[in-house]
Amino acid sequence: MLSDRTIDPAKDIMRITSRTFPARRVLLGGLLGVSAVALVGCAAPGSGSGSTAARQDEITAEVTADQIADLGDVTLTLWADQAEEPLMDLLVPVYEEAYPNVTVDVTYKSFDDLIATVVNAANSADAPDLFQGNIGYAVDGALVKAGLVRPLDDVASVYGWEDGAGASTLAPSRWTEDGSTFGDGTLYGMSPISEVQGIYYNESKLTELGLEAPESVEDLEAALPIAAAAGETPIMLGNSDQYAATHIFSDIAATTQDPADIRAWIGGDPDQTFATDGNIEAAETMAEWASNGYFGEGYDGLGNQDAIARFADGDGVFFVGGSWNGAYLDADAFGFGALASGGVGATASPWHISSSSDEAIASIAFLDMLRSPETAQWILDEGRLPVVTDGVTASGALQEQTLDALTATIEAGTQVGYYDWTTTDMLSVMGGGLQEVMAGRTTAEDFVDAVQSAWSKEHGGA
Amino acid sequence: MAVTSATRAVVAGPSGRRRRSPVAGYSWSSLLYVAPALLFFAVFVIYPICISVQTSFYEYDGLTLATPVGAANYVAVFTDPSLREALLHSLVLLVFYAALPVLIGLVLAGALSRIRIYGLTFFRAALFIPQVLSSVVVAVAWRGLLAADGPVNDTLRAVGLGSVATSWLGDFDTALPAVGAIGTWVQYGLCMVLFLGGIVGIDRSLYEAARLDGAGAVREFRAITLPALRPQISIALILCITFALRNFDIIWNTTRGGPGTSTAVPSVYIYQDAFQNRALGQASALAVVLTLLILVIVGLVQLALRERSEIRPRSLRRSGGLR
Repeated sequence: MLSDRTIDPAKDIMRITSRTFPARRVLLGGLLGVSAVALVGCAAPGSGSGSTAARQDEITAEVTADQIADLGDVTLTLWADQAEEPLMDLLVPVYEEAYPNVTVDVTYKSFDDLIATVVNAANSADAPDLFQGNIGYAVDGALVKAGLVRPLDDVASVYGWEDGAGASTLAPSRWTEDGSTFGDGTLYGMSPISEVQGIYYNESKLTELGLEAPESVEDLEAALPIAAAAGETPIMLGNSDQYAATHIFSDIAATTQDPADIRAWIGGDPDQTFATDGNIEAAETMAEWASNGYFGEGYDGLGNQDAIARFADGDGVFFVGGSWNGAYLDADAFGFGALASGGVGATASPWHISSSSDEAIASIAFLDMLRSPETAQWILDEGRLPVVTDGVTASGALQEQTLDALTATIEAGTQVGYYDWTTTDMLSVMGGGLQEVMAGRTTAEDFVDAVQSAWSKEHGGA
Repeated sequence: MAVTSATRAVVAGPSGRRRRSPVAGYSWSSLLYVAPALLFFAVFVIYPICISVQTSFYEYDGLTLATPVGAANYVAVFTDPSLREALLHSLVLLVFYAALPVLIGLVLAGALSRIRIYGLTFFRAALFIPQVLSSVVVAVAWRGLLAADGPVNDTLRAVGLGSVATSWLGDFDTALPAVGAIGTWVQYGLCMVLFLGGIVGIDRSLYEAARLDGAGAVREFRAITLPALRPQISIALILCITFALRNFDIIWNTTRGGPGTSTAVPSVYIYQDAFQNRALGQASALAVVLTLLILVIVGLVQLALRERSEIRPRSLRRSGGLR
């Protein structure tokens, strides 16, 4: 019961604040002022860094079990994306059996939580030995710039990461020493998991509409009016998180432009610009599709996760999205068409070894195990795509199509990564801007100019 | 007699605790009692505030050594057009997060206190639930309710208003009012309970007297209930305005400031600067400005309500009033 007694404290607060307010205010204000002045006089923030670099020798041969046994009883602390838990549950016991003196302690975080906290954790006095970052300036760039992660070139050459089809997937983890550009330079991270963007389609709806499975953006574009005329939602889109539409934009933009140029722009090459005819056309296409109702109604009010759930329930003919959505779809009812012309796609969050870790060689052995063919098969069995694709076998048609799409785009070299890697605020700049274009509130020209001007604040150029 | 006892109830609360002079009552031993709380307050509130103020004069990524930049971050705060737009959104939200909840709370409290409703306790508790729920839960629930094919639109279509139905949170024109409506829903319960508590403290005989003089329900509300609730209205406004101006979680979990920037408020930019852009100096400067703005507006509200206390009924003022 909410009696008058329950209300009493509120009244007391009221009495105190209204009656003794001036005296308190002056006291508090004075206290704040004095402390602030005192602090401003102190050292600049960041002068006392939390973590200190440990002695980490370069390796010239594969780490042996004896070397790791010499470490004595140690605990390897890991920070991982929640999505890695099924994989870690398989991998950690195998690792602990191979190296019995090492205990692996994994902390899982949701992706949003991970990228918001991992940099500070890596900078703390008890930084995790091994952790996942995220490609781009916001996380990996900050880690490299502050010297918080160990260079992995020696590991890559000893363990042969640079051989085979998976080699190109290391590029986004390569940085210049000052952390100013990525795509080339020193290797700082490794991801065993790939991502590829393509067109998911509802097979029974395609048959009803008399359409073929789409193999390109052109195929998709031709199918959209037919699907719309039949009263279907042609493309299921959930864009309230502001990124899903930028992925479709990226796929359209890559049809008329060299993916290498797009990659260079994302990497921060000052000679590149976003204000290209291809990008203007792509933005206009997005606006046209939106005004034709090809994305259905209210896509800006729908989350991406809700959209994939609806698509899985049979709403919508197509879903343009990444392989990470495949786990939600019934493999018998849905298919996946590759976009060989390029677009969004890269690797999942790379793993980094802390530069302050005393157990770096144990971490190296863990990374080796993460990239093994056995782990690759586990990754595929968990509904995701491994970087190492030699010798893995897909189960079911959808998995096979997705794996084929990955092999095709990696061989064509057309994956461009993600636009939001390029500056820390690109996700909201481009995502919000594209929403405006699609709603017909700004022109495609103004959109590309706005994106370019936000970009050049970071990277210079026109 | 009736008037003075009512006054005492409002002023001192039903517990009728002895009133003390505000300044003369301080002593070192009393300070000892508040020391633990004060310590926590200093460590977890005052110290972080000071660090924020200090950081706001630097360019700082949270990792490498910060560079002093003087007032540059503050200049950026006051010259950035997107922040001006965000501030404008905040002012619109004040209507939804503060003005409307207080109005609805007054109407509900007036009604609930006047009409004898069977199961009143249940209704009071039920109407207070939005205040108890975690704001993330609230945001997720409303995202579903306001979706293009959600229950809100279904209801509109069922009563023949299908042309009004839209994706409330996804439409540039409706997103801000829609986010505002969620805030109204969250806050009115708090206002109502505050006001109900105040009404309980009003002497019933005042209403009887008014009724004998032939006052109607509205007159009664304006002449007795409203003046007696002034302190509660002040508290409700302060809490709601603070909630409105620093509101982040509801907006972030429904629209992320979108579509476009149509629901972006200062706190969204603070979060983005601090945790996505790693521009801690810029974020701190904006946070400091926002804090000062909240203090100023809350101060104005207090001032306004204090001035109006001069026109309060003579009898109440003579007996000490509500200072």
